Amino acid sequence: MGFFANLDLEGYDRQYSDRELIQGIGAYFKPHARRIALITLGLIIIAGSNATLPVLVGRGIDMLQAQDDPVLLAILTSAVFLFGVLAWVANWVRRRMTVRTIGDVVLTLRTDAFRASVNHDLSFFDKYASGRIVSRITADTKDFGEVVTLVTEVTAQFIQAGILAAFLIKIEWRLALGVFLFLPILFLAASSLRRLMRTYTRLGMRAMAVVNAKIKESVGGIVVAKNYRQEAAIYREFEEANEASYQVNVRRGFVLSAVFPMLNGLGGLATAGLVYAGGLTVVQGIVTAGAWYLFLTSLDRFFFPVLNLAAFSAQIQAGLSAAERIFALIEAEPNVFQIDHIQPPPLSGDIRFEDVSFAYVEGEKVLDRFNLHIRPGETIALVGHTGAGKSSIARLIARFYEFQEGRLLVDGYDIRTFDLAAYRRQLGIVSQTPFLFSGTVAENIRYANPDISDDAILALAQRIGDGEWLETLPEGLQTQVGERGNRLSMGQRQLVALMRVLAHNPAIFILDEATASIDPFTEWQIQQALNLILARSTSILIAHRLSTVKAADRILVIDHGTIIEEGSHDALMALDGHYATLYNTYFRHQSLDYVEYARELAE
Amino acid sequence: MALLTSVSSSNYAEFAVPDRYHANRQGPKRWLFSHAMRYWHLWVLLIIGAFSNALLASAIPILTGQAFNGILADPPMLNILLRSAALILLSQLLRSGLQLMRNFSAELIGQRLERDIRDELYVSLLGKDMSFHSLQPVGDTMARATNDVREINFMMNPGVNLVIGSLNFMFMPLIMALRYHPSLILTPALYSLFYVLALSQYLHELDPITTKVRETFGHMNTRLAEVLDGIETVKGAAQEEQEVRRFEKVARAYRNAFVHQGDVEARFLPLLLLALANAAGFLHAVILFRRGLINVGDVVAYMGLLQLLGFPTFVSLFAYARVSSGVSAGRRILELINAETHIDQNAQGYVGAMRGEVAFRDVSFAYHEDVGPALEDIRFHVQPGQRVAIVGQTGAGKTTLVKLINRTYDATSGQVLVDGVDVRDWNIEALRRQISIIEQDIFLFSRTIAENIAFGKPDASMEEIIAAAKAAQAHEFIMSFKDGYETVIGERGVTLSGGQRQRLALARAFLTDPAILILDDSTSAIDSATEDKIQRAIFAASKGRTTFIITHRLSQIRWADVIIVMRKGRIAAIGDHETLLRTSESYRRIFAG
Repeated sequence: MGFFANLDLEGYDRQYSDRELIQGIGAYFKPHARRIALITLGLIIIAGSNATLPVLVGRGIDMLQAQDDPVLLAILTSAVFLFGVLAWVANWVRRRMTVRTIGDVVLTLRTDAFRASVNHDLSFFDKYASGRIVSRITADTKDFGEVVTLVTEVTAQFIQAGILAAFLIKIEWRLALGVFLFLPILFLAASSLRRLMRTYTRLGMRAMAVVNAKIKESVGGIVVAKNYRQEAAIYREFEEANEASYQVNVRRGFVLSAVFPMLNGLGGLATAGLVYAGGLTVVQGIVTAGAWYLFLTSLDRFFFPVLNLAAFSAQIQAGLSAAERIFALIEAEPNVFQIDHIQPPPLSGDIRFEDVSFAYVEGEKVLDRFNLHIRPGETIALVGHTGAGKSSIARLIARFYEFQEGRLLVDGYDIRTFDLAAYRRQLGIVSQTPFLFSGTVAENIRYANPDISDDAILALAQRIGDGEWLETLPEGLQTQVGERGNRLSMGQRQLVALMRVLAHNPAIFILDEATASIDPFTEWQIQQALNLILARSTSILIAHRLSTVKAADRILVIDHGTIIEEGSHDALMALDGHYATLYNTYFRHQSLDYVEYARELAE
Repeated sequence: MALLTSVSSSNYAEFAVPDRYHANRQGPKRWLFSHAMRYWHLWVLLIIGAFSNALLASAIPILTGQAFNGILADPPMLNILLRSAALILLSQLLRSGLQLMRNFSAELIGQRLERDIRDELYVSLLGKDMSFHSLQPVGDTMARATNDVREINFMMNPGVNLVIGSLNFMFMPLIMALRYHPSLILTPALYSLFYVLALSQYLHELDPITTKVRETFGHMNTRLAEVLDGIETVKGAAQEEQEVRRFEKVARAYRNAFVHQGDVEARFLPLLLLALANAAGFLHAVILFRRGLINVGDVVAYMGLLQLLGFPTFVSLFAYARVSSGVSAGRRILELINAETHIDQNAQGYVGAMRGEVAFRDVSFAYHEDVGPALEDIRFHVQPGQRVAIVGQTGAGKTTLVKLINRTYDATSGQVLVDGVDVRDWNIEALRRQISIIEQDIFLFSRTIAENIAFGKPDASMEEIIAAAKAAQAHEFIMSFKDGYETVIGERGVTLSGGQRQRLALARAFLTDPAILILDDSTSAIDSATEDKIQRAIFAASKGRTTFIITHRLSQIRWADVIIVMRKGRIAAIGDHETLLRTSESYRRIFAG
């Protein structure tokens, strides 16, 4: 995340205080208290054993000079061995526990974040791009998990360094002070190198983004280049972009290559100093040779935590802000509130808008004191310019959005009193770009009515153009539709979405008609499917096709959130008013008369 | 034109660049190796750097040992202490420089590999025939050209760099231990042996698990993205709770794979081996000391040398994974490069000016031997200048049919003739230059509108460009932009609607003035005024040339000279409007209103 963190801010993001954040994180770790206790114990054992090893070897070196008891030496070497094994076992237990704890915490976080997301109303998804929500649920949780792992590793190294530091101070505090004085220098060096790296990485990434876009374009353009025999020209451009990319990366690579050598050089300086200063203290009898050895080997073990702290502090920050983003998503306030949980009886589809006012954004009313009565079984077509409020009417019936004033009654019930899931189970909704989930055609048809049998689906399919559309699918109902349905044509997707409604047989049918171009044969089949649905349900159609408008019992011409004309197609055409104008703007070219007229356009 | 000479390799190619480096393409490892060996001088620097870096790293314990011996001598020899400290400082500064040389050599090799391999991939893509490109998803090619190529760069640095660097660290204790006592080689030797065994077992075990982790993460991500994109459908069908359950299932699959990977990593044996080596080495050194074979400084130096084994132990967790994912990336790229392509430039072929007569004689075509034919028994004849409408449902074979005309694909059996000459006997350059295809997905470059129109004729004058745009009914909307023809389109500029893109493509075709125009038309106009413009543009484009239009527009079908109705890869009906109204039930149906 790091560099671009600020670009990810969303409207529901808020600043958590450190305490809130830690409490929030704590709540997720609480169920794993026993594991955490084991992990902590493991960490202490690892740190303790790792710190003890050089101490033991140092003692051993002193004993060598003293020509001590061989039994003691044997005990010492077995202790080295035992502590090594102990550290490994403790590490094994710790890692197993850590990976389980983090796996479970991340799983819970993900499920919670997902549940919170799907329970939001559609205004939430209008505002926030779904790609970014996805990245919060998968990538941010992953980052958070990785940072927790990192924190445990760094903690272990710090405990170890702390224990060693205590030993060193006890042995000879002045020499220890010398070692400690070196650490801030190392820290500063590491941090400034990291900043340098970041700057170059950012520069490099920016340049790379440009170059990558060029490379992408030249790969995407190959087919066009071949059509027009422009291969040589497009290759020259590619070569230029590729070379530019190389130049940028080499410069960046040089800086990255220099980081560790520089730190190593600094480390060499410290070692040389310590060898000399320590040697002098040994000569003066202040410390033993074993202690000198301990000081020298400890240097490395101080190095790592300090370097890590410098390298990972930004990452830990990023992990915390990842946690912040996940909590913000989980805790974002929903807009649609139900005041009761009435289980609706089978609905007849009597819908009544009473002085309903509605705005997506405060102050910009889309519907203003809107009134409409839709009778059970009626088919209503809504027509009008973009932004007239057609979709809003349909979306309020689906309860995808909260309205601000008035009442909306379905079969006499206030729509706010329903149990939302139970109410929606009686609706059939097909959106403008019909959406299919990866899986088979049959699974998609079954989506809203999982219990329907294969035979029943087949029987329904046969009623549309004698089931000819199934023959065009390579494996009939068992055809895989691909991700988002991308293996089917737009027309086929619409057919499957309509089949879904047919299988579901809802009381109320809402259709936002697609505008995509569809071959005339499939178009005819879609019309057949639509007619079957319209005969059975109360239907609200946001119509873009002439044939659909003509099929409606009543056409409502919507403008600025009010009904300005209503009636049948023929009656409204005879009136020669708003509808006639709309017809000339949007529907004229769909009529058969236009086919004859087109001849004139050829001249 | 000099670039367009054919190469004499076993692979056919439609495009090639002469005097290029030819890498060995038999297997990914050989291929990567032959690319890497072009920079053998950098490899020499890399290996010298790695070796001397390890050598100077082992100088620290050796010099420290000498310092110990100097101090513990009676009387203590301070000059030895000073000399050791000074040598440590010098050696480590020198080591800094050599390490930089090692790192930067590896970095340079990596970057050059990335550049060269991407170039080789690109040239090979340009050389592939259109059937390859039509079947190969652009997204996949893009991923290989960017991510996979980058993966090879990472394989070199840090991957190979750390492997070579750390192996040198492993050698040092083996060589240097001999200074103190020959038998001291035992511990580092045994360690190295078990390290290799344990590591290869570990990597072998880890490989399928990391694949599983990647896969389950991918599943989770895709499912999530899909559900959130289809949220309206989910809510409309009241499926929220079911979706939460489904998501939890895929998220749990990932969690399980993640834990499994953690368990294998927790068992990493080389760490235990390192602890054992420390203890064994210490014991061994102590025994030698007590027998008076080595002194205290030697024990100190030896223990320090054993510390060097830590480097290969720790980096192996990470470096080998880099190398292996680099090799698999190489395999994916090489697959693409080695994919066979059947159509070559046919430079000796027929090059006449095209009149635009097209005939299909009993043509069948299958994309692949294993799948059924996409086209069967296609037979028709089109006179120069005729307008042909092709109609039918998705998957009926409309697009496949037209792609046989410019040899995007070759017929499996039967013949496709243009001007009475089999397309396989045409010079491919001459054939394609005189046929324009406007695809369903119109690709425009992120450049100015004028440059896009002139793509097929880079030397066109501004007047010609404007005339073409006017004929394609595009002039008006182009002028509505502030910068007119200099407007940049695409990612960095304005976004165009499908209808606008189509008209730009038509303008492109006007400029190259092909004898045959193939238009895969799937746009739809929102309003009738735009529809009028599109109709005019298409009618104008079809004047004076043979035109094949795959279309949903009833008016284009109605006024075509020949209408071909396709159904499941065969011609279901053919003829003009009047004929089809009489002969085809389904055709009559769509005009019934």
